[in-house]
Amino acid sequence: MISKVLVANRGEIACRILRACREAGIQTVAVCAPNDQGTLFTEMADELVVLNGDTIATTYLDQEQIIQAALSTGSDAIHPGFGFLSERAPFARSVKQSGIIWIGPSPEAIEQMGDKMTARQTMRNAGVPVIPGEEVESEDENEAMDALLSASERVGYPLLLKASSGGGGKGMRAVYDPADFLQSAEGARREALAAFGDGRIYIERLLNGSKHIEIQVLADRHGRTIHLGERECSVQRRHQKVFEEAPGPTMTPELRESMGQAAIQAAQAVSYEGAGTVEFLLAPTGEFFFLEMNTRIQVEHPVTELVTGTDIVREQLRIASGQPMSCGDLNIRGHAIEVRLYAEDAANNFLPSIGPLAVFRPPEGPGIRLDTGVREGDDVTPNYDPMLAKLIVWAPSRDEALQRMRRALDDFVILGTTTNVRFLRELCDAQPIVDGTTTTTTIDDHWPNGWKPIAVPLLEDASLLAAAAGETMGLHRTFTARSDGESQGLPSPFSTLSRRYP
Amino acid sequence: MQHQFSSPDGPIEVSLTRTDSGYALAGHSLEQTGDGRLKVHLSNGRVAYAHLAKVGDVWWVHLRGQTYRWERIEPGSSSSQHEGGLVAPMPGKVLEVLVKTGEEVQSGTPLMVLEAMKMEHRIVAAKDGVVTAVHFEAGDQVTQGAVLLELDE
Repeated sequence: MISKVLVANRGEIACRILRACREAGIQTVAVCAPNDQGTLFTEMADELVVLNGDTIATTYLDQEQIIQAALSTGSDAIHPGFGFLSERAPFARSVKQSGIIWIGPSPEAIEQMGDKMTARQTMRNAGVPVIPGEEVESEDENEAMDALLSASERVGYPLLLKASSGGGGKGMRAVYDPADFLQSAEGARREALAAFGDGRIYIERLLNGSKHIEIQVLADRHGRTIHLGERECSVQRRHQKVFEEAPGPTMTPELRESMGQAAIQAAQAVSYEGAGTVEFLLAPTGEFFFLEMNTRIQVEHPVTELVTGTDIVREQLRIASGQPMSCGDLNIRGHAIEVRLYAEDAANNFLPSIGPLAVFRPPEGPGIRLDTGVREGDDVTPNYDPMLAKLIVWAPSRDEALQRMRRALDDFVILGTTTNVRFLRELCDAQPIVDGTTTTTTIDDHWPNGWKPIAVPLLEDASLLAAAAGETMGLHRTFTARSDGESQGLPSPFSTLSRRYP
Repeated sequence: MQHQFSSPDGPIEVSLTRTDSGYALAGHSLEQTGDGRLKVHLSNGRVAYAHLAKVGDVWWVHLRGQTYRWERIEPGSSSSQHEGGLVAPMPGKVLEVLVKTGEEVQSGTPLMVLEAMKMEHRIVAAKDGVVTAVHFEAGDQVTQGAVLLELDE
């Protein structure tokens, strides 16, 4: 049994896990970097260990310090969340060797899925369809280039070059013309080498017009490996998902069953334990291909929870403590949509923004769930990922879920920091979203010159009246910023907060 | 009740009209609610509630799902009392001088920072021009109406 969990993460996902532990009657320990002190998640844990260090590498990625924190607080398990150390096999191994329960799959499973080329081979051997392509194992640059060039002729164009250790779009190149191949391959190799210390590249056929469909799986030690249906996460900007839904709008029970079985095979091929996600590309032809497996909890897990009536984090805790999972037969009910709320300027190439959350009033009402890492009065700093929260809605049908999401986004008031709320709201009106025909290029296709908000002169004029009246009436709100101004010497946007003007 | 805000198309001059219960502009009118929001009667006859916050010089306004940012241009940045000169809007101390004589500045460029009544006040250029004189340096006390700098178009 698990009695005390250390959450090795921050922000929104740390909050999600800490809440689940508290509901399960499990003691909690949070760890935080010095510049995260006082943020929401640090207040949710029973105990807090402030890590020593001023960079991500010396805090949230410092394996030794985190294991020490677990040992010194008597934690018997570590939950890594997503990102940070969640997919580092050596960390999982050290945790286990320290006699602490690792809430996740075995280090071997993480390794087999973490190396994309190994994962492709494992899946092919397990009979799971992979995207047509070829792996090139050679470490020598000249040899690798020759092998890649000849492989490119067999794979055909357009094609995609990917780094074996890749992620987040790094070391990835789309090639449409054979004449560009060598230059792109060299670029991808350089980028991969710099980002991951591993320049190995493989080639996949580029399946334009495909949907990104992923299957949630759960596996326990009592012989059960199940899937919880799919999520469609095609809508992406800069290779990051922003709009996710379950079930997939074009999914059929037959396709769900065959993709679900392929995902279960994938999990079983690496003796998977816990919660994981098998990602597929669904081509316009109806064929689906293995993309990769994420060996951790996923950002968009709430949509699956809402339509299946599951608490995936609670199941993770149950499975890691050796208990059987509590899920019954798969029963999908209604429709759920999640949008990711970012502190970013969608009208300016999605550039991250910072500032105080002077006003943060989330929407309320039936079928609305907010998984947030922030609250009113917090500061958005440049130190971490700009994802603030996830807004998730559930409704009996997809149309109603979309209507509910529009209403919820209209009601969401965030002042003081530029966010993508308006972009998400307009996204809900984009024809491919309305029709459910989204693909991985929907945002770029719909706004080829970048997104700009639709002007509403009536409200713009009225807002000017409100601003001028606010000034005249002296409706200044005083904000006291918590940041001490010493966060990495960057100009603090909050030092101006208590200024008043006559 | 005049205010100036900056916009991508240049400064916007706003002249509010006082009404029985609040203010009006361009067919819209508003009144205060008890919870810090403003009840806006839009020119199309409908009602909307505005959420407001001021951060630095910027007014953030949320209205019917839209969020607007209006950066206020300080009243001291343009003066009818002294042609081309920028005057102190209140008595205080010069904290910082951000420009030198001969420097070319654009509309909106911060020129000087004043402290008065424990508040900071930024003096910004209301138009493009060249700084022809700087009359104070950091640490100097200034009286209300004192000409701080001079600007030629």
